[in-house]
Amino acid sequence: MITTLFSALNETLYMVFLSTLFSAVGGFGLALPMILTGPHGLRPNAGIYTALDTAVNLLRSFPFMILMIALIPFTRLVAGVAYGNTATVVPLTISAIPFMARLVEGSLLEVDPGVVEAARAFGASDSQIICRVMVKEALPSIILNLAVLAITLLGYSAMAGAIGGGGLGALAYNEGYIRFRADIMFCAVAVLIVVVQCLQSGGNYLYKKLR
Amino acid sequence: MITVRNIEKRYGNAPVLRDLSFSVKAGEIFGIVGHSGAGKSTLLRCFNGLTTYEGGSVKVMDREVADLNEEGLRELRRDMGMIFQNFSLMSRKNVFENVAFPLRIWNSRKPGRDPEITGRVMELLELVGLAEKRCERVQNLSGGQKQRIGIARALALNPKILLCDEATSALDPKTTLNILDLLQSINDRFNLTIVVVTHQMEVVKRLCHRLLLLDKGISRCMGKTEELFLAPPEGLKDLAGEEYALVPSGANIRILFPREISQQSVITDMARELDISFSIVGGKLERYIDDVLGFLVINVPDEHFERVCHHMRQKNLHWEILADDNNAFQRPQ
Repeated sequence: MITTLFSALNETLYMVFLSTLFSAVGGFGLALPMILTGPHGLRPNAGIYTALDTAVNLLRSFPFMILMIALIPFTRLVAGVAYGNTATVVPLTISAIPFMARLVEGSLLEVDPGVVEAARAFGASDSQIICRVMVKEALPSIILNLAVLAITLLGYSAMAGAIGGGGLGALAYNEGYIRFRADIMFCAVAVLIVVVQCLQSGGNYLYKKLR
Repeated sequence: MITVRNIEKRYGNAPVLRDLSFSVKAGEIFGIVGHSGAGKSTLLRCFNGLTTYEGGSVKVMDREVADLNEEGLRELRRDMGMIFQNFSLMSRKNVFENVAFPLRIWNSRKPGRDPEITGRVMELLELVGLAEKRCERVQNLSGGQKQRIGIARALALNPKILLCDEATSALDPKTTLNILDLLQSINDRFNLTIVVVTHQMEVVKRLCHRLLLLDKGISRCMGKTEELFLAPPEGLKDLAGEEYALVPSGANIRILFPREISQQSVITDMARELDISFSIVGGKLERYIDDVLGFLVINVPDEHFERVCHHMRQKNLHWEILADDNNAFQRPQ
């Protein structure tokens, strides 16, 4: 059973790591134009902001299960296959990008507007303000949100079993629940609890250290 | 240095600045004074293009601010330092890095910049007296120390003009005085033009050579600080919150002490020469930049009134008679 658990943990970490990485990059990329064009941004633009804002809300409204199935053709295009662990990374990433964009937007909005104004007053350009002031000041909060993102993706990855993915969630459901192996179910859940704890503590530690 | 002509500024339909015209001379400390919401900070931000204006003209160092493109604005801002009410320092950087920030954004592509930047930052930290705190995180500093760092940062690029936005409003009175002394010494040493936005009268009196009183975006008065405070127009009286305890009988006379007679013993001379007694019922003597100026209100019995008036005319004193019913002073005929 230990080996089963370990390989399931391995699969889970593989899916969570890759999807966290990709959605962090994507979410960050989406958050920057939102912050820039937002009502109090450096280049307010109601049209662009409303479009991005609506798109983010739209994508976040999808139940993950439905999104995963709806994305199957896209997944096949990107990952080459439509099922399995690697294939699961695609819908996980797509669903998490707008979530991460919101989290990063929130972190960047928390940056003291006075500090941004001061940077403008010394002649900093927009890119300098974003990279050297806003992102730098918001970094601890962004790291903390990264832990939130990873934990959310850990939860979603449990549904990977539906498209042939593995991992602890699939193990707990397919082997534990369906086949009446309560011991496997409990152990898988216990490992998940430990993983969540580790992610959150790691995030908290980095937040305190960087602040 | 700064010339403003008929500037107009609106937020939506609400006018913020209405038809203001004035100029700030090179090397002077100019105060923009008024209650909160009078448009002072907005006016200040028109000078370095942090906010836009709809009409009129703002010329800073011979450049029309509204006509500048993005690059031109950045160049303008490089020549203008700014300090803020809440200091606006970066919380994750230490003291040194905060002061170095403007230098780093303007020299990012220059090779071998580090020793140069270090030298300049240490020079600035010496100037504001915080060199030993260079590795400290800004959260661990007191308000006064934070504002000193703000001043050092604002001076980093050798600006020609320093803009101060309520720079002492978040500080206690003693720290306020220290910061004002620092600003004044910077003005003396580098002949730096300073524009001060404040609602604090003690700041204006102690620091500003000239002032502009703003009320709801309109200029109420403008002139030399001491002249305006010695004979304050209505708007300034409101802001200064002056009140006098009045003796009902006799005549209340307010004697002003402008710079030219501040060193003379006006009151005792008058009592001795006329051989009369009168009581001092109110007054205010304060430090204005480098002199003690102000006024005293004396209560003169009716029978001596004419002689006192005659004496004051002879001595060329500045004085006013306080009307019985209210606080309004009347100029002597």
